[in-house]
Amino acid sequence: MTATHTAKYRPSFLAWLLSLFSGIGGLIVKVALLCVLNGVTSWAIIVMFTQDRAVWALATLTVLALIDFVYLVPNRMLPAKFIVPGSVLLIAYLIVPIFFTINTAFQKYATGHVLTKAEAVDTNIAQNVVQGERFFKMVPTRDESGELVLVLVDDTTGEAYLGRASGLQEIDPTSVGVDDFGYTVPPSGFTAIEGEELFAIDAELAAFVVPLEGGGEIRAEGVSGAYDSAPGFEYDAARDVLVATDTGDSFADNGRGAFENSQGEQLVVGWREYIGFENFTAVVTNPMVRQPFLRAFVWTVIFAASTVLISFAIGLFIAKVLDKPKLRMKRFYRSMLVVPYAVPGFLSLLVFKGLLNEDYGLINKLIPFDPPWLFDPWWARISVILVSVWLTTPYFMLVCMGALQSIPTELVEAARVDGAGRWQVFNKVTLPLLLAVVTPLLIASFAYNFNNFNNVYLLTGGGPTVDDQGVAGATDILISYTYKLAFESGKGQDYGLASAISIYIFFIVAAMSASGFTRSKALENMK
Amino acid sequence: MKKQVAKLVAGLTVAALAALSMPTTSGAAATLRIWADADRKASVEKVAGVWGKKAGVTVTVVQKDFGKIRDDLKTVDLATAPDVIVGAHDWVGELAANGSVIPLTVSKSASAKIPSYALDAFSYANAKGNKVVYGAPVALENVGLVVNTKVATVPTSFADMESQALAFQKKAAGNFGLVIPGGDAYHNYPLFSGLCGYVFGKDAKGNLDPSDVGVGNAKLLANAGDIDKWNKSGLLSSKVDYGVAKNAFLAGKAAFWVTGPWEKDTLEKSGLKIKIVQMPKNKCDSVPFLGVQGFMVTKFAKSHGVESQARDLVGNYMLSEGAQTQLSSENGRAPANTDSAAKIDDRLLKEFAAAGKGGVPMPNIPEMSSVWGDLGTAWTNVFKGADATPAKAAFRTAGKNIVAKIG
Repeated sequence: MTATHTAKYRPSFLAWLLSLFSGIGGLIVKVALLCVLNGVTSWAIIVMFTQDRAVWALATLTVLALIDFVYLVPNRMLPAKFIVPGSVLLIAYLIVPIFFTINTAFQKYATGHVLTKAEAVDTNIAQNVVQGERFFKMVPTRDESGELVLVLVDDTTGEAYLGRASGLQEIDPTSVGVDDFGYTVPPSGFTAIEGEELFAIDAELAAFVVPLEGGGEIRAEGVSGAYDSAPGFEYDAARDVLVATDTGDSFADNGRGAFENSQGEQLVVGWREYIGFENFTAVVTNPMVRQPFLRAFVWTVIFAASTVLISFAIGLFIAKVLDKPKLRMKRFYRSMLVVPYAVPGFLSLLVFKGLLNEDYGLINKLIPFDPPWLFDPWWARISVILVSVWLTTPYFMLVCMGALQSIPTELVEAARVDGAGRWQVFNKVTLPLLLAVVTPLLIASFAYNFNNFNNVYLLTGGGPTVDDQGVAGATDILISYTYKLAFESGKGQDYGLASAISIYIFFIVAAMSASGFTRSKALENMK
Repeated sequence: MKKQVAKLVAGLTVAALAALSMPTTSGAAATLRIWADADRKASVEKVAGVWGKKAGVTVTVVQKDFGKIRDDLKTVDLATAPDVIVGAHDWVGELAANGSVIPLTVSKSASAKIPSYALDAFSYANAKGNKVVYGAPVALENVGLVVNTKVATVPTSFADMESQALAFQKKAAGNFGLVIPGGDAYHNYPLFSGLCGYVFGKDAKGNLDPSDVGVGNAKLLANAGDIDKWNKSGLLSSKVDYGVAKNAFLAGKAAFWVTGPWEKDTLEKSGLKIKIVQMPKNKCDSVPFLGVQGFMVTKFAKSHGVESQARDLVGNYMLSEGAQTQLSSENGRAPANTDSAAKIDDRLLKEFAAAGKGGVPMPNIPEMSSVWGDLGTAWTNVFKGADATPAKAAFRTAGKNIVAKIG
């Protein structure tokens, strides 16, 4: 008996896959895979180092060392060998983004607040250089001693000069020429700096100033021009303020990522800065956020719940119909019904937008009356739910087909023997058993639809507006509304605010899912 | 055995590492990287190549979707970052506030050949209220009123356009008079400016002032009755989207279409007899929004050691007549350089350019992102037929919302 059993034993695919990693062949596979991993990761670490991402490089290095250790130390860490790949991916794709979101939520990180403070200081100074009246054609040259000299020709008067770090010296304009491209040709005794060498002196040239008598200076603009200018701001590192050179007005760090003067005027360029709970409180204090929040929230729940329940009901119905053993062309029906799920959602949504056009859409040409699908708030809500149902139903059909097959036929037969009708069997036996399996998926789908940005944004853009106006339209769910607040208002982008609101949404979804799971436990107990 | 395995792994790892890290050590040669869109890649390669030969610089042009240029600039790593980008003028405020692009000083001789509004479009005010230039304008675009001259004549007045449109519309079922994509603030701007609407006012120094929002201004609201009239008479409907408008016009079933030079090839191929003009003056001049495209130097050029070269390419060479003529011929837009513009021999391009006369550059301050959505919604709501919101209410609300969103 035993012998025949072993002979018939067919390992599962997973077991077969694992067996590849044992024996000498397995060793080679293992070593080869580790080599590829080590090679690629080491290369990534080098790139990270060269781009000043030392922390990331070290973290990656640690993980890599850990992986090598786990797989190379024999017979010690068997459980770890199975857990490590999943854990690494979990951390990389779930924990790290969550950490980033939380970190961002506490920052002023928006349009005008993306640089570091040091960069912001330099950028503000560069943007506020005061241009003078004169512009010169210029060529950077080296004189016989190898010193950098700018040969300058005034754009309007034609006067020619030599500009050195020590000052300006007028020369004979006829000694300077012009080539076919309009570039300046230096007088004899000076060699124009060209090609490769211009790269080498790039930073030097950008910082090079020719001081002028009576204040001001001449700066190079590119490699063929120069202009007279004066700095508009100077940075006083001791006081950490930017001082306007003309008025003496000083702009100090306001603690919120910007330089601000005593009148409350801010410089254009700020930097990323930690600002505590400000983004979180903005949600409560900002009337634009507060006012339509409840309406958007209620609609989000209705949208997510009805999408899931209607899709589930239709999906279950179709699955039950297709469950008939004698049905012909079952495969054909099944594959046709999965099509909405297989077509990319973006495409379906944009196609539906056209189909639902009130006057020119196909749907209104086919049906005898003309509902204003996307124009009336209520019809728009119906449209969004209908299209979402269209996209979600195949998923539940597939899930239900699987779940129906897992229900033991004996239970159904026993119920029928006991005299239960079809409906009673379905209602009292099949559905409860099915729900025990499917409820977690229903909850997951609810959570997914709660944040189903695409379905709303691509179909209606959150519109149409409702009478009380405000930023949220009739079909705006919380996440599309967040997008409008964070990316279509103010100065364009506010990543900090967006992160803070998404954390709120996380808690809402978590709370609703948790209560859902508690209930599904009750369902399981019914068994 | 175990030690051998360890040695083997170590050896192979080092080999793999050495092989893979090779390419990262090289590649620091003298190159200047430009991000350009698909339409312009070839011409930028040609034009910048000529400059590069003279300057001794290898120019690499990387193709990107136009909108992606702006988005990817925010997240790009230094190693692959561009030194120069092609972009639209209305990105300038955001890019400057983020310090992503650097200020340029354009010589008087170069700027003399560029219309001042185009250079202003690429400028953003600094702390002292002075205009700082961030880019070299190379191409101009705007919408015009495309007239199907087989079924309508070039309108002599706004009322003439209206009556011709309505007459054609009533002629046969499926006919349209004037088609404009519904709910689109950009294409509807000639109607908006014709009723004396504006988006942002200007401060004493001539800079756009985000605290002066003109979407719900008194003059516009006083003229808003016109919009209700157009809705009632069926002249315009927000159910007409871009596709419906385009198909109707190309099928000869619309008398007038508001569109821009990006449809030039389509219009030429359609075989329709057309003429492009500016929409006739209504209460105020019905001017379109102007879009200016050009080149900007990014903050990365400095770290790459090519800042001076990049400044020369953008602030000097790209403004020249030769470069602009070449770019224009391949991209199908009117060049910014006036010498180059005078030489256009393409009739439609010339007519589109003329239709932009007196136009308003799209505001380039970052606050503009608060405007598009609400202004578009107002246009949708006023042309909804029987369910339409009265225009006065719609634009007053839009103005109020925009002010609130700018905060």
